[in-house]
Amino acid sequence: MSDKKLIPDNLNNPDPDYWRSFEELYNDPSFVESSKHEFMDGAVDEFDTDKLSGFSRRKFFALVGASAALAAAGCNYRDKGEIIPYVHKPEEITLGKPTYYASTCRACPHSCGILIKTREGRPIKIDGNPDHPVSKGKICNKGHADILNLYDPERLAKPMKKMNDGSFSKIDWFRSDDEIMGIFDNANGKEIAIITHTIVSPTFKTLLDDFVKKYPTSKVYSYELFNEQNRVSAWEKSYGTTNIPLIKWNEAKIILSLESDFLGTEGNIIENTRLYSENRNVDDLKNFNKLYSVEGDMSLTGMNADIRIKLRPDAQLEFVNCLWNAIHDNNNELLKSFGIKYGIPFKKLNNLLKDIRSNKGKSIIHAGRTLPENVHIAVNYLNDLIGASNLFRNDSAEYSVSSLVDQEKLNSLILSMNSGNVAAVIHLDTNPVFHFPSDYGYVDAIKKVPSVITLTSGNYNETTALSNYVLPVNHGLESWGDAKTRTGFYSLQQPVILPLLETRQKEAVLLTWISGASITYSLDLYRNYLKSNWKNNIYPSLNSKLDFEQFWNGALHDGIVLDHSVPPDQGSIKSSGINEFNNIPPVSGYVLVLKESYAVGDGRFSNNGWLNELPNPISKIVWDNYASISMKTAAELDVKTNDLIEITSGTRTLKIPINIQPGCADKTITIELGYGRNNSGTISEGVGFNANIMQSKNSGLTPWLFTDVKVQKTGGSYPLAITQEFHAFDKGLTKDAAQKRNIIKEGTVAEYKINPEFLKEGRDEVNNTSLYPPHTDLKKSVKWAMSVDLNKCLGCGECVISCYSENNIPVVGKEQVSKGRDMQWLRVDRYYSGDPEDPQVSQQLMLCQHCDHAPCENVCPVSATTHSPDGLNQMVYNRCVGTRYCSNNCPYKVRRFNYFNFRDHFNNGYQLSPIFDLVFNPEVTIRSRGVMEKCTFCIQRIMEAREDAIRDDKPLKGSDVHTACQDACITTAIHFGDMNDTDSEINKYRNHNLGYHVLENLNTRPNVTYLAKLKNTDKEDA
Amino acid sequence: MEIDYSKELVLVEGNPSLADLDHVISLPLDQKPDRSFMIAISITGTFLLIGIICVGLTFYYGIGMWGNNQPVGWAFGIINFVFWVGIGHAGTLISAILFLLRQKWRTGIARFAEAMTIFAVICAGLFPIIHTGRPWLAGYLLPYPNDHGLWVNFNSPLVWDVFAVSTYFTVSLIFWYVGLIPDFATLRDRSTDKIKKVLYSVFSLGWRHSNRHWQHYEKAYMILAGLATPLVLSVHTVVSFDFATAVIPGWHTTIFPPYFVAGAIFSGFAMVVTCLLFLRKVFHLEHIITMTHLDHMNKIVLATGMMVGYGYFMEYFMAWYSGNHFEQFVFLNRAFGPYAWAYWTMISCNVLLPQLFWVRKIRRSIPMMLFIVIFVNVGMWFERFVIIVTSLHRDFLPSSWRMYTPTLVDLGILLGSFGLFFTLVLLFTRSLPVVSMAEVKAVIPGAQPTHHQDNHNFGNGEGHG
Repeated sequence: MSDKKLIPDNLNNPDPDYWRSFEELYNDPSFVESSKHEFMDGAVDEFDTDKLSGFSRRKFFALVGASAALAAAGCNYRDKGEIIPYVHKPEEITLGKPTYYASTCRACPHSCGILIKTREGRPIKIDGNPDHPVSKGKICNKGHADILNLYDPERLAKPMKKMNDGSFSKIDWFRSDDEIMGIFDNANGKEIAIITHTIVSPTFKTLLDDFVKKYPTSKVYSYELFNEQNRVSAWEKSYGTTNIPLIKWNEAKIILSLESDFLGTEGNIIENTRLYSENRNVDDLKNFNKLYSVEGDMSLTGMNADIRIKLRPDAQLEFVNCLWNAIHDNNNELLKSFGIKYGIPFKKLNNLLKDIRSNKGKSIIHAGRTLPENVHIAVNYLNDLIGASNLFRNDSAEYSVSSLVDQEKLNSLILSMNSGNVAAVIHLDTNPVFHFPSDYGYVDAIKKVPSVITLTSGNYNETTALSNYVLPVNHGLESWGDAKTRTGFYSLQQPVILPLLETRQKEAVLLTWISGASITYSLDLYRNYLKSNWKNNIYPSLNSKLDFEQFWNGALHDGIVLDHSVPPDQGSIKSSGINEFNNIPPVSGYVLVLKESYAVGDGRFSNNGWLNELPNPISKIVWDNYASISMKTAAELDVKTNDLIEITSGTRTLKIPINIQPGCADKTITIELGYGRNNSGTISEGVGFNANIMQSKNSGLTPWLFTDVKVQKTGGSYPLAITQEFHAFDKGLTKDAAQKRNIIKEGTVAEYKINPEFLKEGRDEVNNTSLYPPHTDLKKSVKWAMSVDLNKCLGCGECVISCYSENNIPVVGKEQVSKGRDMQWLRVDRYYSGDPEDPQVSQQLMLCQHCDHAPCENVCPVSATTHSPDGLNQMVYNRCVGTRYCSNNCPYKVRRFNYFNFRDHFNNGYQLSPIFDLVFNPEVTIRSRGVMEKCTFCIQRIMEAREDAIRDDKPLKGSDVHTACQDACITTAIHFGDMNDTDSEINKYRNHNLGYHVLENLNTRPNVTYLAKLKNTDKEDA
Repeated sequence: MEIDYSKELVLVEGNPSLADLDHVISLPLDQKPDRSFMIAISITGTFLLIGIICVGLTFYYGIGMWGNNQPVGWAFGIINFVFWVGIGHAGTLISAILFLLRQKWRTGIARFAEAMTIFAVICAGLFPIIHTGRPWLAGYLLPYPNDHGLWVNFNSPLVWDVFAVSTYFTVSLIFWYVGLIPDFATLRDRSTDKIKKVLYSVFSLGWRHSNRHWQHYEKAYMILAGLATPLVLSVHTVVSFDFATAVIPGWHTTIFPPYFVAGAIFSGFAMVVTCLLFLRKVFHLEHIITMTHLDHMNKIVLATGMMVGYGYFMEYFMAWYSGNHFEQFVFLNRAFGPYAWAYWTMISCNVLLPQLFWVRKIRRSIPMMLFIVIFVNVGMWFERFVIIVTSLHRDFLPSSWRMYTPTLVDLGILLGSFGLFFTLVLLFTRSLPVVSMAEVKAVIPGAQPTHHQDNHNFGNGEGHG
């Protein structure tokens, strides 16, 4: 107290006549406080880029400086097979420390923000950019796996030109540019067609406009195999605009999904799943949502639905009509007879009605993109009736740089191709020969075009085979770019490595052609174009206070730029369209649904081993597509899983193996597209069946939905590889095994509300005595633990792909998977229960439980698996002799044995190609054959956090470490931390009323806690 | 048929002279191998070669050449290991326990049974090494002092196995060799071939059939028999711990040690009978290895077979009685699941077929006993298959259940192990006396001093020397 008196009020100001601010003059306490420090807050803090605010100067200098330097020179990674030390260390690279760069994912049109981890100049992992307003630090499994496409050893390395004998031979870029420009100059008024996917980049749009200016006969066609055209046209018909609003999934209480896989493949699944799972919080039961799914095949959404109703997709219109009658006219009779007609228990439908009626304004109906326009229109009106417009977002909306081409335009393109009016076709990294329905006759049309130029970022494909020039272009991680997919922000894409091969960025190729001189090309041709487009067109509209260079570097650093665009008007519903859906066509025969693959997308990822080996979330089949049919239909056709059937729609036929899918609607055949690639690389060779040939431009209800399909058994079979064998769950021995064994524990929201301790009451008795002495050191410092919230886990498998990338998991191939030797360290177990025709699905993420009393540890003869003082079950690869005893004794069967040197064994050493090495995480050992491996809880990340803590002389905290699966989980189902820290989040889950351990009666004392799933069902629902 | 139980059984028929015995037993060693021997060894040698190729493939490419998978981490490798260790047990039981119990009928078969033990343990001992993922590091299983501070994990039954099997092999070898010393001396004395004479001289350690030698020999033999006796029980007990100490339902049972030991003796005797049937015929030893010997052994097969059957039954009882649904599932799955065929093969061969041995005629009928003992061997192999594969293929988490199918390499290695065993047996019959000359001489009529000088037919059961 005395000290305070001694300090004169104006001590900070040596000369009382001069004051620096009013705060100083009036002795504002905050000023006094701040003036005691030489530097402003934040200036002398520990340097942690993650903690810095979005536009801070230091963050800007630190990382953007790095990216600028990188862009200029720093990222050249060409392995010359020699060890070259950094004599002059590049400024931004510290050996052994990763550097992160923000960019934009170009794996699909959603263009999520990504953060690329690079080590010594080579990208090794892709994660989400937390600053991105939509994806918020998460990306999908294709985004994670995109890094493998960068290092695909079979990417085309040089421009190729087709010779007269039909073979391709190498050609110099400059020569091919000259020749191609010659073709354009001699077009003589004939069309130059540019075929591209969705254009998300405003700068690329400008570039294409420039191209059209230079070559006025050129036209741009953009297409997607899977698109929202029915939803858009329906919206236009009912609202008069094409501005479909986004949905506040996080405010919906009742969600009715009609044949829509909005959690799996439709729309921006990152945002959908995040918002949806917000209301799957067991600590906030009031807002717990309820998901109804009405669908034909079992989808990821249907699997996670509280109540799933199976219904063939062509009956959806009738269903919506009955629903309309029931809600609008309060007439349940139609719905009742509908239920009887399709074998749907009326109590399910009645509950749905009750829920919708009592939650008006909080319910939404979402129709899937495979459904025809009239269903979408009906749903629009129904949504309007139940007040779903409350759930339409007005803070943000989809933004489309350029719309997709419609069918008529494609038809006329093909007509003019056939009539010889097209001089050249440019495929901008697209594969229309594979994607377009065969009745377009694109293959024949393209043969009549004198010059076909195909740019490809991967291997050869179906389209390159019919091209005169095949030009290899950069992977997304080697490219510059920008994207605008939503109102409110732009995102930027920057390269993190120089082109590994002799590829050029596709935009730069076009720029060269625009310039008219092949020598114009330089590495930063497009970068300069992008920058000047931003400077001249975008930057001025943003009213930034920074000068452009600062702005630009900051924008690159952050990966996103906010703007002030507002969502466009959604329109208001017209009263006229309401009668349009009264004309219900009759439903009969077989119906064929073509849907997007969870793994390989529309085929763009079919040469990616990780994605091919990611089990389908529902069927757990890998490396193939197949026809899903119901048990009854299979019995009718007299086929069983793996048997071949022949599907005929019109003149198109397809022979494909079947998979009996419990819960599939009868007479509904569902096939994933994207498989059956030709001429497209070792990995995709012979994988699956090309069901694209079943597409037709106008014979189906939609491009993906066909009625009156003929099906017959052909005899013969084709073995599908599956990671989880199918067991009869209606037979005594194996029925509901997972539930009987207390592996899956579930309850309902209602039950939990009444008795929060219901789970603990039914618990197995645990005998805590043990022969072995207790681990005494586990209580001393940190002890790692994980929790998995089964209410949030959807089973999508993003964690699995992230683990592949983080932990250098080898791809083993279909044959080895079918033998039961897949190497994934974590898996999603899927269990069916109840009625095989209409089962309940339960899922469980299963990984090493890091048991305190690990059965694997005491049986290892050489102590190769031991317990660490921080609670980890460790695997010492060097010491392992490979007795596999640990794996036998693991009750969770999470250990994985290297039966071969899989890198060598798979596809004749495909994974041993020199370029493939670059994808490996240098912090994780590559395991040799004969060695056991398993989840380590990402020990390399723990060690990194520990080193940092030691260096900074701070205690290591549980929240310092994030495992790769946790980082990848969109719904934040996975938590990781220190259980000895009583305040930690992980402790909350470990002691949660719903927390349980799998097989706890074995007294293994696992460190992974599961939060039991609550289904939001009433008693009578089940 | 009337049996006079007051009289000892005739152990060597036809009252041969001592010289006759020496002659008939060492005859195969003095002759060039005949055609049938060459045919036999070329067959077993082919099997062995197939096995070597398959092991070579496994070493070169990895365990992936086998059918093992996740969750069936152990299959043919460990099945064969347990099978061969079990086979060995009959030899030790015959040579050690029956010796201590003064069962004189053992003398005719002990030598061969002991040799069989050694060969079976050689076969068994290979499997733990070749079944590891990195066999070149098998040395890690030994607790050798090293700079790295690495030590084996004494909690692991696999380490106990290493000691159990290596001890078993060492003791069996010494026991066998000590028993061979007097015979080496006899062979040395008989032999006219220079090289053979030198070799026999070295191995006979200067044996001169002196009274002192015999006294020391008898003591040493007795002590070794005492040492070997616990091994009969302990080795297979330790092997059973591989399973019993694990948490896997179907493995984690306390009945395993006695049940494994009974099973081992069961299969071992079946193998001894199988081999002896051929041996006595080929080498004309019917008067030394008599029908009585075979009858005795068949009785043991019957007795141990029923112990094994009791074990099978008790497992089911305990599964039901414990109320543990994992346990109950495993046993129902064994009998009615996808591997039910293996289970019922095992039950038929091990429990049902040996019941025929209640009939004396069958016990003494060579074709019948050959039929039964071969199936007992098959059944005992399947017992290990059932225990290992059916327990692993459906354990705790239904998500990980998966079927196991062996590959050709698996079958090749199994074949190879039989090739190795029978090749060693064939070589043994041509290089060492298959019957202990010294011991058989002690049990021929009149070999032992008796109170009734006029009765030459019976010994009085007192020890010799």
